[in-house]
This record gives sequence, C-alpha cells and structure tokens, in this order.
Amino acid sequence: MAEAAILRNAVEATERIARGGRNLLAGIFVAIALAFAVFAGMTGDTFFFRLATEALIFAGLALSVDLLLGYTGLLSLGQALFFGFGAYVSGLVLKNVAPSFWAAIGITLAATLLVGTIAGIISIRARGVYFALITFGLAQVAFKVVFNTREIGGSDGIIGIPQIRAEFGLFSVDTQSPAGFFLLTLAFMMLLYAGCAYLVQTPAGRLLVAIRTNESRVPFLGYSPWRAKLFAFVAAAVVAALSGSLYPMLRGLVSPELLAFQISGNAVIMVVIGGVGTLAGAFYGSAILTMLKSVIGTFTEYHLIVIGALFMLSVIFFPKGLAGYALPRLERWVARRRGRA
Amino acid sequence: MSAALLEVEGLAISFGALRAVSDLSFTAARGGITSVIGPNGAGKSTLFNLVSGALRPQQGRVRFAGADVTGWSTHKLLRAGLSRSFQITNLFFDLSVFENLRLASQVLEPMGRALLPVARSTAARDRAEELLGQFGLAEKATELAGHLSHGEQRRLEIAVSLACRPKMLLLDEPTQGMSHGDTQSTAAMIKGLAGDLTILLIEHDIDVVMNLSDHVVVMHQGAKLAEGTPAEVRGNAEVQKAYFGENPGGETPGGEAH
Amino acid sequence: MNELIETLQFVYAPQVVNGLAIGVAVILMALGLTIIFGLLDVINMAHGEFYALGAYLGITLVAKGVSFWVCLALVPVVMAGIGYATERMLIQRVFHTKDRHILTLLLTFGLAIIAEDVFKLAYGPNPYKPDSPIPGASELLGVILPNYRLFLIAAGTAIIVAVWIVVYRTSLGAMVRAAAFDRHMASSLGVPVERVYAGTFAFGVALAGLSGVLLAPIYSVFPTMGKDFILMAFSVVIVGGMGSIKGAVIAGLVLTQIQSISSLYISPVWSDPLVFGIMVLFLMVRPQGLAGRLGHG
Repeated sequence: MAEAAILRNAVEATERIARGGRNLLAGIFVAIALAFAVFAGMTGDTFFFRLATEALIFAGLALSVDLLLGYTGLLSLGQALFFGFGAYVSGLVLKNVAPSFWAAIGITLAATLLVGTIAGIISIRARGVYFALITFGLAQVAFKVVFNTREIGGSDGIIGIPQIRAEFGLFSVDTQSPAGFFLLTLAFMMLLYAGCAYLVQTPAGRLLVAIRTNESRVPFLGYSPWRAKLFAFVAAAVVAALSGSLYPMLRGLVSPELLAFQISGNAVIMVVIGGVGTLAGAFYGSAILTMLKSVIGTFTEYHLIVIGALFMLSVIFFPKGLAGYALPRLERWVARRRGRA
Repeated sequence: MSAALLEVEGLAISFGALRAVSDLSFTAARGGITSVIGPNGAGKSTLFNLVSGALRPQQGRVRFAGADVTGWSTHKLLRAGLSRSFQITNLFFDLSVFENLRLASQVLEPMGRALLPVARSTAARDRAEELLGQFGLAEKATELAGHLSHGEQRRLEIAVSLACRPKMLLLDEPTQGMSHGDTQSTAAMIKGLAGDLTILLIEHDIDVVMNLSDHVVVMHQGAKLAEGTPAEVRGNAEVQKAYFGENPGGETPGGEAH
Repeated sequence: MNELIETLQFVYAPQVVNGLAIGVAVILMALGLTIIFGLLDVINMAHGEFYALGAYLGITLVAKGVSFWVCLALVPVVMAGIGYATERMLIQRVFHTKDRHILTLLLTFGLAIIAEDVFKLAYGPNPYKPDSPIPGASELLGVILPNYRLFLIAAGTAIIVAVWIVVYRTSLGAMVRAAAFDRHMASSLGVPVERVYAGTFAFGVALAGLSGVLLAPIYSVFPTMGKDFILMAFSVVIVGGMGSIKGAVIAGLVLTQIQSISSLYISPVWSDPLVFGIMVLFLMVRPQGLAGRLGHG
C-alpha cells in the first residue's frame, strides 16, 4: 500500500509542477500587462493603449489556433473566419439590435456554436494538411462572400458602430476609455485563457492530446476521434469569435479584412513564436509580434521581411517557441520552491 | 445466452482481387483462449480488423455477447466490452506511462466527469495505478512511453488494452520481438488473464499457442483450414501439409505433450 | 437556330477561349504544386510568390533589353536554381522531423510573407503592364481573339505535354516516381533521393516561374499577384487529387471553364467563391480528388 501512495505522490507532484509552471507563465504575462497599463496610464497615452488592446484581442485568436494545433494537432489556416464572424455579429448587434456588451457577447456565442458546428462537420473530415487546406479554403470563401455582400457593407465593412458601456453590476466600463477597455479586454482574455487551460486538464481535453499524439489508437480507448475533434473545433471557434466580438468595441468598425488569410496567418505566427501547445504562448507571441511591427514600423514599412525571417528562424531553430523554452525553466523553479517548502 | 462470447459467421472481405478473408466461421468460448494461426498473409490481422470494427465486412456477421455487432464502430465495440492490442506497438509515445493508462481507463468514468478536472476521475486513476502494479511498470509511471524498452512497451500495450475491463481481448502477437524469457512470462500472464476474460489470440510462436489455447483456428489464404483443440489441429493432415510442413523448425519435442 | 449559333459564336466561344488561356496557366502552376506535393509531401505556400518572382524577373530582363523569347527560356533556369537552393537550405532542415508536413508548410508560408514585401521594396506596390510580345488579334471562325492568348494556349499545352513526357516516359521521371512511391526502396536501388527531391522542387518552382513570365502580359505584375492566383491553383490540385498530374490537367480545365462560363450568368465576383466551394465539396466527399497520387498510379 505504501508503494501505491508513493506512486500516486510522484504522479501528482509531476502534474502539480506542470500546473505551477503554466500558472506562473500566465501570471508573468498579466503582471507585464498591468505594469504596462500603469505606465501608459501615467503618461496619459491613448495610442499604445489601443494598440495593446488590439494585441490582446488578436492573442485570443492565436489562443484558439493553439487549442487546435498544440492540443489536437490540427493546423487551421482559416481561423480568421471565426474571428471575423464574431466581429461582424458583435458589430451588427451593437449597431442594429442593442448597444449592449452582454447582447453582443451572448449572440456571438450562440451564433458561433451553430456556425462552428457546421464548419467543423465540413472541415474535420479532412486530415493533416488537408485540414489546413480546407480551413484555408473555407475562410477564403467566407472572405469573398463578405467582401461582395453589399447588405453588410461589402468591401467597406460596417462603420459607425456605437461606443458602449459594459455593465458589470457594481461597475461599468466605457469602451471609449483606453485604460478601462484595456483592462476589460485583459480580464476577458484571461477568462478565455483560463477556460482553455481548464479544458485541456479535463478528461475531454486530455483526449484531444491523445488524438494529437496518436489518433489511430483513440477509437480503441472507446472514443470517437471525430466527435472529440468536432468538440475541439467548436471550442476553438468560440474562443476566436468571442475575441473577435471585442474588435468593433475597440475600433468602432469591422471590415472584411478581418476574415482575410493575413489574419489567420498572423495568428499561426504568434503561436509558433510564442510556443505551440502552451496556451500562454499565444499571448507572448501576440505581444512580440505587435511590438516588432511598431518598432520596425518606425524605420520601414516593410516589416513583413523581418517578421517572416524571424518566423522562419523560429520554426527551424526554436520550434518550441518562447513559452516552450521558458516552461521547463519555470517548472524547475516551481519544483525547487516546493522542495524547500 | 450461449457458451460462445464471440460468434463469427461467413465473414468475408476482398481488397480488389485479393480475397483477404473468405467465408470464415468460428466461435470463441466464454472465458477461454482461442488462437488463430496461419502463415503470413493468411488473413489473421484482417480478421482482427474485421472483428474489432476497424474494417467493415463485405459479407457475414459478427455476434458479440449475444448482440449482432456487424459493422459497429470500434469505439462502440470497445464500450460493449471488446478490446484489442496491436502487433506493432501503438501507444501514445509522447505521453507518460501513467497518462497512457489513465487515458485508456477514462472510459470507466461516468460521462458527467468528462468536463471536470482530471483529478476528479478517481476511477480511471485507480485503474491506472492497479495496472502499473500488475504489469510491473510502477517505477516507470512518469516516464514517456516512447522512452521504455521494447519489452516494457509490449507490456504497456497489453495493459492499455486491458484498462477498460473488457469482456474480450483480441491479442495481436503479444510476444512479437520478445526474448525467450520474456515470451515465457508473457505467456504465463496471458494464461492468468483467461477465465474472467475471453481471449482471441494471434501468435507466431507455436509453442505458446499449443500451451495456452483451448481452441485453435487455422487460417490459410483467407479461409479456415481446420479448427479444434491443439491436439486435433496438430494431428490434422492438411494442417501438417499447409502449415507445419512449411515450418518444421517451429515444432519442438516439448510441444508434443498432450 | 441562327440566334443559337450566334450566341455560341460571340458569347460562349470567346469565354471558352479566355477560360482556356487561364486554364493552361493555372495548370502550369498546379503541376508544380502537385509534383512537389506528390514527391515531397510539401504544401508549398510560397508557390504563388515563385510565380510572381518569375514575372518580375521577366519584366526586369525585358526592361534591360533581353527579348521576351529569351526570358521564356532563361527565367525557368534561374528559378530552378532558386528552387534547388530553397529545398536544400530550408525544406531539408525540417524534412526528417515528425511534424514535417506542418513545418514545411510553415516555412514556405514564412518565405511567402518575406517575398511579398521584397517585391514591394524592389518594385513598389503598383502594377506593371508589360507590352504584349505578340500584339494584334486574329479572326477565328468569325471570332476576334488576341494573338497572345492563342499563343499562350498553344505554348502552355506543349509544356504540359512535355512535363507529362518527362514524368512518365523518361528514366529521370521513373526515378522521381520511384522515390515518391518508396523512398527507401528507391535509395537502395541507387536513386540519389536527396538530389531527386531538390531537383523536383526546383522543377516545380521553374514551372511556377514560367507561368509568371507567360501570364505577365495578360494580368500585369504586382506584389500580391501570386496570392490571387494560388487559391485557384490549390483548388485545381485538390480537386484533381494531390500529386496527380492527370487530375491537375482535368481539374484545371474544368474549374477554369466553370469560372469563365459562370461569369456570364453570375457576377464575376461570385465565380471565385463558386470555385472554392467546389474545392471544399471535393475535400469533403472525395479528399483524394479525381485521381490518385504520383507514384501510386
């Protein structure tokens, strides 16, 4: 019996240390974001607040890409489809239905469950690179359709989406307030992160990892890989769409470019640079990419050369990404602290 | 309820011009060990794929535990109590030994726990711990399955397929690539599993087959050549010619014991 | 009756010929993609940029006084060199890893991002419209058709046939098909697999560059020209079956005709979604496409 107890302790200790490392990585990001907010708040800046808020929103899209790529092994090249869908639904609700934060979020969620399921049923029939191509194709079809549909603004998109106050009972946040909306977005994104981090530590989430590792064995564990993948696909669609739903609140407009391949591609770059299969890496990746763009942007408008080169170097030499290298170190630190305690 | 847990009736499948399995019928008695033998290409693995739901038969029926399960999907069959192991080790190599077993035991949990933290899946955890002990893998629990030795991986392969507490286990060459000593201990382990568990075994080592089996089905070019007790099969002239005749070295004096 | 003939002659015939010209060019692009995928299992996301690079090289050389006809031979040679180097320096680096499908896709995607900005940096964002190397038009069965399009159809068809012959009728092609079918077997039979891989990639890239030179006089040359075209080429490859030359030819002809003729009935802006829709449908119901893959019959 003593042996069994030792075994259980060893297994549980490993999992606790892994969890500690992940929490620390996410915590450091929040600390950096809050430090930025204090600094930007003191200098009375607006531009960088808005930019950082946008980086957070796109980090949510990257988070959804990582849920698929890093946990289920599905590379989506069209995740902007759901991001743009969320942005459009939210924008239309705010403009035409009710200028309410909760209405925008709620209707986006409901609509994405439906659209995500349909797109999922179409996409997950395809495996490997075919999945990448079918998501790419679906997003391109959606992009062209939105671009050519005059009823939702065509190539101009929807402009003049009203600013709102998001009501939270005890307090409310004005989307026009740079600091307020930044903090709201940070909290919102951390909720999405926590949701994903929770999901991947449930039996359902562990099954996704099993699919990534060896899909062929999964049916012999008593599960349909098809259902598990559909579940992951819809979950990722919801994360992407909810992130997108904040976009019109920030910018007051949506445009078909939100569904374009560039957005999907950027999200993949963020995940690879930040660290595939780490969830928190998506946030670091988005922050790095946004900073790079604005720093290089002050010297030249051709920032894609640098970002593309960095991305390729990352793929070849640092395939685990920033978080992939930081996590083992953070875990060792957590283990040492626990050992002392 | 009949004494047979698995009944295969007139099973057939072709790949193009190749008749991989044709008009195959046999039964596997509850609690016993039934072996399928035959030269390479006789259709043994195809038979396993048909019975375990990986392939859909073009003709014939499969009955399991009294129900017609022809054409059922693999995951549904597993939940009905039919599990299998693989000839070529088919594990989650990037995951720990414990996680391999925990994933395989997850099916024992009530559905409601699928979206609760994994720490709440106590039934799966207990089952995984039990198997770690039973298969001598406790010390390797936190290692990656891919880092185990070949013999350990073969043991984990069987442990994973047993995790769901199946009624029946299809074992595809469990001693594949093992040393003589490991083969003996694996055979003893398989013998110990029978009783509560019904086993359908594919095995190349003819001594193991003869010692373990209650019933032997001999396949040749996709069809059944003979069946019976090990002694009956061994005495069958056609089997001698088609199977043992090709591989006299596979026969050892010890195997003659009745 | 007369009306029907006139409709056929003046409405459909030009549309069919235009579709054919586009079709031949798309097939050239798709052949490169499909051969690279068939042998290396690499989805070359930079294929559109190689096409654009071919076009830019073409207009640069023509501006320097080199004849268009010389470019037609020279650019594919240069592009083959670039393709060979790309394969050895980038693809080979991740080719032996477990995730090579995804990694090679990401690497070529990175290459595509860089290339687009390099074009903007070197040539500016505005389109160039080179002069047609064969100006004028001919009357064919009462229909006026631009000479250059007729040339494009003829030359393209000849190249497609040549590719077919190289892959299926020469010992070089046999080596490539052997390497595609079973890498280790081919290697043990003395096929220099590594060089065959790099050579095949170079061949595919050269085809992309050649389509760039050929299409520049029709479509203009601009930094994102590859992006607009690659979707069509991907659709053709998927519908035809990844790795299948025959499939790419059939799908290329059918899809471009659908696009061309459908634009008579629906707004041309909807013909792209229509073609992608067909691609998505194929991926759903027949992911292997019309025909099998290279080396597999």
